[in-house]
Amino acid sequence: MRNPVYTAIAIGVGIVVLLGYFLQFDLLVNLRIVFLEWATILVATALLIGVVNLFIVHWRKSTTDQPNRVNSIALLAGLTITMGVAGWFGPTDLYSLWIFNYILIPIEASLMGILSVVLIYAGVRLLRRKPNLLSIVFIATAVIILLMTGPLFGIDIPGLAELRIWIGKVPAVAGARGILLGVSLGIIAAGLRILMGADRPYGGN
Amino acid sequence: MNLADWIGAFVGFVLTLLVFSYLIGDNPLFRITLHMFIGVSAGFAAVVTIYNIILPRLFVPIFISDRSEQILTLFPLILAGLLFTKISPRFAFIGNLPMSYLVGVSAAAAIGGAVTGTLIPQALASMNLFAVQSNQAFDANVGLRLVNGIIILIGTVATLAYFQFGKLSQASEKTQFQTWIDGLGQIGQVFIAITFGFLFAGIFSAALTALIGRVLFSVDFISDVLGLFIR
Repeated sequence: MRNPVYTAIAIGVGIVVLLGYFLQFDLLVNLRIVFLEWATILVATALLIGVVNLFIVHWRKSTTDQPNRVNSIALLAGLTITMGVAGWFGPTDLYSLWIFNYILIPIEASLMGILSVVLIYAGVRLLRRKPNLLSIVFIATAVIILLMTGPLFGIDIPGLAELRIWIGKVPAVAGARGILLGVSLGIIAAGLRILMGADRPYGGN
Repeated sequence: MNLADWIGAFVGFVLTLLVFSYLIGDNPLFRITLHMFIGVSAGFAAVVTIYNIILPRLFVPIFISDRSEQILTLFPLILAGLLFTKISPRFAFIGNLPMSYLVGVSAAAAIGGAVTGTLIPQALASMNLFAVQSNQAFDANVGLRLVNGIIILIGTVATLAYFQFGKLSQASEKTQFQTWIDGLGQIGQVFIAITFGFLFAGIFSAALTALIGRVLFSVDFISDVLGLFIR
């Protein structure tokens, strides 16, 4: 059953915040700032709820006899130790930074490192499986940019450096600008649907 | 290096090897490392959120500030409390109230951000391509700049045409307008492919730098350990 109260709240606060962006009345601007401040607190609370939910889900998995329960135990160990240390001493304390520097950064950087291998593999697969105009343009652009990223064993291909600069300044900018405008138009359309009550992604069907 | 640094370097080295083990195939050690990474990341995110948002913006005003600010902070405190009911499926419906508030504010903020942060600046940047007076008018390169500006304009419009916002027509035959838009969209696909190729190269360069960094770290660690024993 649809609850009109929820819809009224969403539309009401949404319109006040939106008007606060475009009309420079003190009341509207102050209301926008206060509503955004409260929303920030709620987003932070939602993140904490997500972490609590993550803990509950993996606690259940680790206490039942499941084949991958060791994964859940590793997750719970990481979560509780980090929350215990960083929560007790503070996130900028030496102990917290030790976890950050010697556990988080090595894993993040290593994952980023294996991404390079995965990207090469994906590029080769793209050309082998679907060699059409777009995939050739995609790979050719990437190769041209990469060739001129570093020194090419002393080899100087005439015009390649200029071509790389031109690609970066003209066609890539055109595509990026089109994508950005398309994304922002999509965001505006989706936001307006919520503010008009056509979409109600907050429960109550 | 002190003992804590040695232990940290050893832990980092082992974790690097465990993550790199993915290169020979998906395996349980890699998955355990990944789960631990998720746990540590989530823990850090939660602690940073508590220290930087929940404590200073919710609890400090309640206990330290004046009466008016205390009353003002009661609203988000109640909404946050109601949001916690989302954890329980039985009481999750109570959490719809703060969710509706959050969705309304987020939608408005997203619209405001998209208009003032992307739509207007990008449209202005497209227009400025043809402002020859601002580009030291009529020098030797002005013609080239105009040609580049026209290419960027065509590319931007063609890329936009590729994203179809309208409802697709149910009619079997395409109208002339639809045929035009489809043709323009195909040109736009080429520009999108170039943009993604450019981004791909950038991400690949960054990933390669990270790979080199981890390999160098591992080599340095091994040589340091060997140096300890050989000395």
